Amino acid sequence: MITSDLLNDLQIIVSDERVVKGQNGDDFLGNSGRIVVKPESEEEITKILQYANAHNRKISIAAGGTKRGFGGITEAEDIELSLENFKGIMEHTVGDMTLTVKSGTPFKELQAYLAQYNQKISLDPFYPERATIGGIIAANDSGPKRLGYGSARDAVIGLRIAYPNGSVIRTGGKVVKNVAGYDMNKLFIGSMGTIGVITEVTLKLRPLPQYESVILLAFPDGHHEWMKSFAVELLDSMMEPVALELLSPTLSENLTGCRYYTVAISFEDVEASVHYQEEFVKKLSSSFANISILEKEKACQFWEHFYNIDHKESEKNETKATLKIAVINLDVIRVIKECEYLSDIHNLKIEGHGGFGHGLCHVHLSGAVEDVKTAITQLRKLATELNGYAVLKYLPLKLRQEINVWGEEPSYFSLLKGIKEKIDPKKILNPGRFVGGI
Amino acid sequence: MAKKGLQTTDKDIINLAKIVGEKEILFKKADLLAYDCDGFTIHKHLPKAVVFPNSTKEVAEVVKYCDLNQLPFLARGAGTGLSGGAIPLNGEVIISLVKMKRLLSVDLENRRAVVEPGFVNLKLTNSIADKGYYYAPDPSSQYACTIGGNVAENAGGAHCLKYGVTTNHILGLEVVLPSGEIIDISTNGVLDLPGYDLLGLLTGSEGTLGIVTKITVRILKNPEAKQTVLAYFDKVEDGSQAVSDIISSGIVPAALEMMDKTAIEGVEAAAFPVGHPKDIEALLLIEVDGISVGITEQIKQILEVCKKRNVREVKVAQSEEERGRWWANRKTGFGAMGAISPDYLVQDGVIPRSRLPEVLARINKISEESGLRIANIFHAGDGNLHPLVLFDARKSGEIEKALAAGSECLRVCADVGGTITGEHGVGIEKREEMRFVFTEREIAAQTDIRDVFNPKNLLNAGKLFPSPGRCVEVKKEMKNARETFV
Repeated sequence: MITSDLLNDLQIIVSDERVVKGQNGDDFLGNSGRIVVKPESEEEITKILQYANAHNRKISIAAGGTKRGFGGITEAEDIELSLENFKGIMEHTVGDMTLTVKSGTPFKELQAYLAQYNQKISLDPFYPERATIGGIIAANDSGPKRLGYGSARDAVIGLRIAYPNGSVIRTGGKVVKNVAGYDMNKLFIGSMGTIGVITEVTLKLRPLPQYESVILLAFPDGHHEWMKSFAVELLDSMMEPVALELLSPTLSENLTGCRYYTVAISFEDVEASVHYQEEFVKKLSSSFANISILEKEKACQFWEHFYNIDHKESEKNETKATLKIAVINLDVIRVIKECEYLSDIHNLKIEGHGGFGHGLCHVHLSGAVEDVKTAITQLRKLATELNGYAVLKYLPLKLRQEINVWGEEPSYFSLLKGIKEKIDPKKILNPGRFVGGI
Repeated sequence: MAKKGLQTTDKDIINLAKIVGEKEILFKKADLLAYDCDGFTIHKHLPKAVVFPNSTKEVAEVVKYCDLNQLPFLARGAGTGLSGGAIPLNGEVIISLVKMKRLLSVDLENRRAVVEPGFVNLKLTNSIADKGYYYAPDPSSQYACTIGGNVAENAGGAHCLKYGVTTNHILGLEVVLPSGEIIDISTNGVLDLPGYDLLGLLTGSEGTLGIVTKITVRILKNPEAKQTVLAYFDKVEDGSQAVSDIISSGIVPAALEMMDKTAIEGVEAAAFPVGHPKDIEALLLIEVDGISVGITEQIKQILEVCKKRNVREVKVAQSEEERGRWWANRKTGFGAMGAISPDYLVQDGVIPRSRLPEVLARINKISEESGLRIANIFHAGDGNLHPLVLFDARKSGEIEKALAAGSECLRVCADVGGTITGEHGVGIEKREEMRFVFTEREIAAQTDIRDVFNPKNLLNAGKLFPSPGRCVEVKKEMKNARETFV
């Protein structure tokens, strides 16, 4: 049997108990492996890659498993390279506000550690307890606070990458400003593990804010023009919201108990500044919206709940999908409006949110499979009309084999393909996981 | 007749003139002399020709012609680059983008603007200032440098500490590939387009992967308030410690600049003196911005830190006029060295901020050993040093000494875990120093990417990466360098 040969070969590289046969029946999301191997060092990772490259074995990379439903059309590759044991902090230079960690470290662990030093990584990914820093960067995950703090491309200053042939390269460095050579960090951020295994990540840190609050503005009339003009006025003011996120009524009900279109506005600064900005928002919105303010821990709890929405396993006969839809900033209102419309006509549960300041929306669908498919088509159509795009961040394997997760290839696809072929000519890493089947 | 009008028989010149028009091409030696170098003047080489296209289509046609006829070519903006990225080492056809200088659109509601590559950096801020908006990256040459050039170099500036460098503000690009193909990467500004991050890769690629013909940038709302502090220290160590203390206290200043004694001597002797005391060892220029009530507290904290670190005198700018004078004094700092030295060489290393005292001491030692004065004027908050090696090119051997001292400074930066360039780029200047920070394998990984975009290497060849035949090249370049400075 090929599988047992593979098992034996891999057991020579890492100790026996860390090489196991893949679980049968884990096929709902795919992206697993016939053999699961859990390296504990970069050296083990490179040896596994060398072996796979030499023997033409395909590898699927995983760690926390939060992105198993994101891209890819294969149930199981030869090897699942699981980085869940490859974790820990390598270097934290408190005074320089930089941190180097192994890629399999769960995000929340990092934030908890950094909080002792009044520091944080300025990213707000989904499912922070399970998601690992490597996975967040490989999938370029970001949440509403991207408005204030940017995304992985703004926080990552250096990476170590194990190439498919087993060599290791460093990109960037450990300093916060660096233009030596090409900005190779960017190449791997969001590359979906298709051109290398991220082994170490160096991030620039930010101070923890001294105070924070979330203002929830509920719009009982659901009047879109009011929401839009509120967002425009706030963005045109000198206030500094770190998040300005529109929540669909269904999502709002889940998070706040009120089934209204709601705008969540986050402020993080010294206390006096946060309160000053709250007052500004109150004045701006008093006539047409219900306002509630969550201070400090309550604000944290709100976001914690928010980052974990819709991650329960599907019930029988219910299909779930998550779309990331990107449009030009203020058009998020049209996307979120469409969500509500689709949920009414298709009997679907749709929870959506989108950031007025960055144009990225997340839409969680659940319902009967045909309805989910129809809604995906319609949302994608709308995104295209708005000159944006829709990508499926979560979809069961069977549907991924049917629906193009990434949408159409860009006109410059040959460059993307050229990069993949240059780095991974044998296509062993996360085959078919990315746009255009890269 | 093109041939008659142009007075040349060179078929390439005639054909290129057909694309851009006879008035939009230079090819006579006297005209080409102005294009033999950029802001890095130690290397010079004449281009074959300079063309001034007026549209993306013309750029693409010129590129296609060069590609088809195996002519090396490169793009140039205002020529303010400090590492030699626009120097036509191989007798390139220079594609000057200065005529493509329109501001194409501004969308305040969605906070973006679209510009052509020849649009001058500061003009963007000036065009939107009346509405209360600005473009954040502010290299010291912003009154002259173009946004196209900023993209090529991933330019920084004094206020990048809080707001990031050029790459953090680029939303989309239209690019002419070395094949002549025109591609559009998110020029409407939609984020995270599926696929590898080509925007990130192109920004800072020093004109070796493609020619940018349209740029969509993020614009920001002006902060509600701004406060600027000037602090004078009797010891460099105290000033450096104050930098570390401010950063680790949880403040993110908009800018945190430092100058040492030699630098202060230079700026005070030049066009924008502000009356800094002559006998201090270091000064810090610190700016915080944001919500007014918030920065009042931050200023208080900064003043406390400075006092704790034995500051001799510390003051807060009392007016916009005073703030402006302090900044003009700082931003013209490089050129100011001309007032105290016939020649100077700018370096651009970056170090972890906490190593500042140690690194400044080592640079001091390099200065003593080389017998050349080194002024330090830099972005202390992000560890981006600019040692300015002062020398006199008329004295035999000083150019070589200055180059060696500059390289030594970069070696120190690399040794403490830093890097060789924070914002000026590698260009020609720091090709060899790339080996201080990257292995052969890591350099090969980068040239592999170049080969995907620029397989014939006709676009800006010989930049950014060390070449194997370096030894011979050094001697030749040194010879040229001497001629340049005499």
